[in-house]
Amino acid sequence: MNENSILLKMQDISKSFPGVLANDHVTIECEKGHVLGLLGENGAGKTTLMNILYGLYQPDQGKIFVDGKQVVINSPSEAINHGIGMVHQHFKLVDTLSVIENVILGIPTNKAVLDFGPAKKKLEKLCKEYELFVDPEEIVWRLPVGKQQWVEILKALYRDCKVLVLDEPTAVLTPSESDQLCRAIRKITEQGRSVVFISHKLREVIEITDKVTVIRDGKVIGTVNTKEATQSILAEMMVGRPVTIERKARPIIKEHSAVLVMKNVNAFDDRGVQALKDFNLTVHAGEIVGVAGVDGNGQRELSECIAGLRKPSSGSITIQDKQVTNVIADPSFVGFIPEDRQKTGLVLDFTVAENLLIKDYKEKPYVKNGFLQYSEIKKHAEHMIKKYNIKSPSGDIKVKTLSGGNQQKVVIARELDAQPVLDVASHPTRGLDLGAVSNVHDILLNERNRGAAVLFISAELQEVIALSDRIIVLYSGQIMGELDGETADQFTIGQMMLGQTTEAKK
Amino acid sequence: MRTKEKIIKVPFIGDLIYSSGHTIVGILLGIFTGGLLIAISGVNPFLAYASMFRGAFNSLQSFSNVLVRSSPLLLGGIGVAIGIKSGVWNTGIEGYMYIGAIGATIVAIPELGLPPIIHILLCFIVAMLFAGLWGAIPGYLRAYKGVNEVTATIMLSYVAIYFTNWIVSGSPLAQEGAYFPMSLPFAKSSLLSILMKGTSLHPGPFIGLLMCIIFHIILKYTPFGFRTRMLGHNPFAAQYAGINSKKQIVITMVIGAMLGGLGGAIEVLGLKHRLYMEFVTGVGYESVAVALVAGGEPIGVMLSALFFSILKVGGATMSIETGVSSSMASIIIALCVLFVIGVGVADSKRLKKRDEKDPGKKTLSFKMEEAVK
Ligand SMILES: Nc1ncnc2c1ncn2[C@@H]1O[C@H](COP(=O)(O)OP(=O)(O)OP(=O)(O)O)[C@@H](O)[C@H]1O
Ligand SMILES: [Mg+2]
Repeated sequence: MNENSILLKMQDISKSFPGVLANDHVTIECEKGHVLGLLGENGAGKTTLMNILYGLYQPDQGKIFVDGKQVVINSPSEAINHGIGMVHQHFKLVDTLSVIENVILGIPTNKAVLDFGPAKKKLEKLCKEYELFVDPEEIVWRLPVGKQQWVEILKALYRDCKVLVLDEPTAVLTPSESDQLCRAIRKITEQGRSVVFISHKLREVIEITDKVTVIRDGKVIGTVNTKEATQSILAEMMVGRPVTIERKARPIIKEHSAVLVMKNVNAFDDRGVQALKDFNLTVHAGEIVGVAGVDGNGQRELSECIAGLRKPSSGSITIQDKQVTNVIADPSFVGFIPEDRQKTGLVLDFTVAENLLIKDYKEKPYVKNGFLQYSEIKKHAEHMIKKYNIKSPSGDIKVKTLSGGNQQKVVIARELDAQPVLDVASHPTRGLDLGAVSNVHDILLNERNRGAAVLFISAELQEVIALSDRIIVLYSGQIMGELDGETADQFTIGQMMLGQTTEAKK
Repeated sequence: MRTKEKIIKVPFIGDLIYSSGHTIVGILLGIFTGGLLIAISGVNPFLAYASMFRGAFNSLQSFSNVLVRSSPLLLGGIGVAIGIKSGVWNTGIEGYMYIGAIGATIVAIPELGLPPIIHILLCFIVAMLFAGLWGAIPGYLRAYKGVNEVTATIMLSYVAIYFTNWIVSGSPLAQEGAYFPMSLPFAKSSLLSILMKGTSLHPGPFIGLLMCIIFHIILKYTPFGFRTRMLGHNPFAAQYAGINSKKQIVITMVIGAMLGGLGGAIEVLGLKHRLYMEFVTGVGYESVAVALVAGGEPIGVMLSALFFSILKVGGATMSIETGVSSSMASIIIALCVLFVIGVGVADSKRLKKRDEKDPGKKTLSFKMEEAVK
């Protein structure tokens, strides 16, 4: 390969934050028309590196070359001018604006009155070209997350980027949406653009990338040609030890009383469409019930109804014979890991310590004589940071400065530490690295073994199968089928997820 | 010192960045522009400001006037500020002041034969009760019916003003044959005592300052404050954490109303000794400005309320001594508010970017603060 074909090079980049060296002499290269995968544990520094490329952070040292020319990028608008587009790990869309408004937001215009006509045409053309269809007029918050992801990507393409950075784009996508994204990425690279692709899902990384750079603790561990890599090689490079997501042996739990009982529950989603239809489900103590299904088939409403955040239109939900409305947010009763950690699970402007207590702040050691005891709150934070292996320099920093995966760990730590009778885990491993995923699995399995009832919602079939005692498949607000976790196979579940029942139903 | 920057959502304006630095720049710009206006009106601005300064500080009496003037601003300002903290704009202070004063009037007029301290406390309690109930209306409408609280509170303020007009002109409490609509005089035992001979200094400003400190502590160090801040920062997370956000909104609006009502009661018990028509014209709206300039921080309210009343009291002297229009003080206040907002908006972009670029800065200074401890 001659030098000319290198479209993007970041050389010897270092960046430190107080207490952390996020990037330590990192060098990456991406050829024209290639996809570079970036792999690494939570907090390894992937997002930081990409934020530097996008002009959000200034590196302490190092150089950036685009098309062979050295560039200095001081802001996202300069990055865009250099042809760099970025889809952030956490969406940056304006919820209350329409798709087209979001797409053209921030593009300088010399017209006093915005003319959406040409913009809409251009957007529709892009939709067709990349087969990422969205309605330009729809208000963003009404779109399912997958579609919001398309908007983010289209927004970058609309600005005609040469290098597109996708920071964990598939974390929120269903498998079929991920496939769709892969096809779009191929089209993007065929046009001579390059893509930097960050993901914790090794299968995708192997499928879509040309080269993979693995980062650990801010340092590059190595770069491999994807052709020569396997999942286990990558996993070992990433974590430093072999990891796999496999079904682990589990003790049989004798006590089997019903904990969560849902009877004929009907519920509507935010758009007023019926999301749960005459839904019946019982989860017992000491079992993990996995909920498989394509996202948007009622999972969110299911979990919110159980957590008391959404009122069913009819039916009853009880937890240990108590009506849900009475036990909402009692952390010793229900642990709820919501699917959207930044919007629901965390107060980003609060510190890590405060976030660990947003439910328990009024309990005993943290409040004395009516006053918050910040020393106790801090102690608790330090304990939790250690116990759950949260990568945070202290409990006093704002939770928004943690890496995505570590933010998730804060939520998990808070929700499960009180040993609730029922755990509702909605996509708890979303955005977590492989090691952390297997930790979460261990935690949930321990919860089960200690006698908690666990409802585990995930779009990843592999992990549903690895973890569940019983699997139900959700399709359009109803249970399509129920399988035994020991014997379930991906194919049957996949069929049910598409709404087809097979004889495997029992 | 660490400059605390934060973003506040202001209705119709959007995100503002606040920090003490920004506020000071905004205020200086306001004073500067005010000086220009004074110069345009043909008066030497330095002389005018010097006269304003003298008007506020040259004697104990003038300074006590500043304090007395700040009393309703402190109470109203903190009432608005606590709303800001929980994410609502409780702009109805004017109305709460009237309603609170009416409540106080009802129990202040009759000779109840109570010792003064008890009588005064009774007046305070009834005032806060009245105003609290009044504030519960927009609170309920906002929390349970989704009615915009800015509109609702301002509308209700008008109702409160007209209601007061009736009380002091047509009701049994009104003084008959008076030269100006007013109530019957208050019983002696209900009046606030004067703290300094020859001035009108009553305990009101000190109650106001005390409230600012109390609410600073409440917001920072109590579960109630924790809840309030959580609601202001992320209402979704607050709901998820089991906070009854509707109830919390009503409570904070009611507290704000009670503080406003207390402010109104203190005005009539301490200064006017009767209820008059339009006895606090505009003070309620000034309180909103006070809280806005303070960025919703109780400690900031102390400073901005004092600053506003210095302008007001000094402004009167300035207008007498130099012939500058008497409304100049209000104009300067308005300019300061506009510039504080303007600086916040203009700087929000730059700061947001710097924040993302170099968030280390903040945490670093935080660390240093800790190390010093
Ligand atoms: N703004 C910031 N202030 C302080 N520390 C930060 C900031 N941004 C990131 N860090 C720290 O830098 C490290 C790297 O974070 P980064 O977000 O780059 O990780 P990541 O590889 O993207 O992880 P994930 O897979 O969890 O998203 C983490 O330890 C994080 O806490
Ligand atoms: Mg990241």
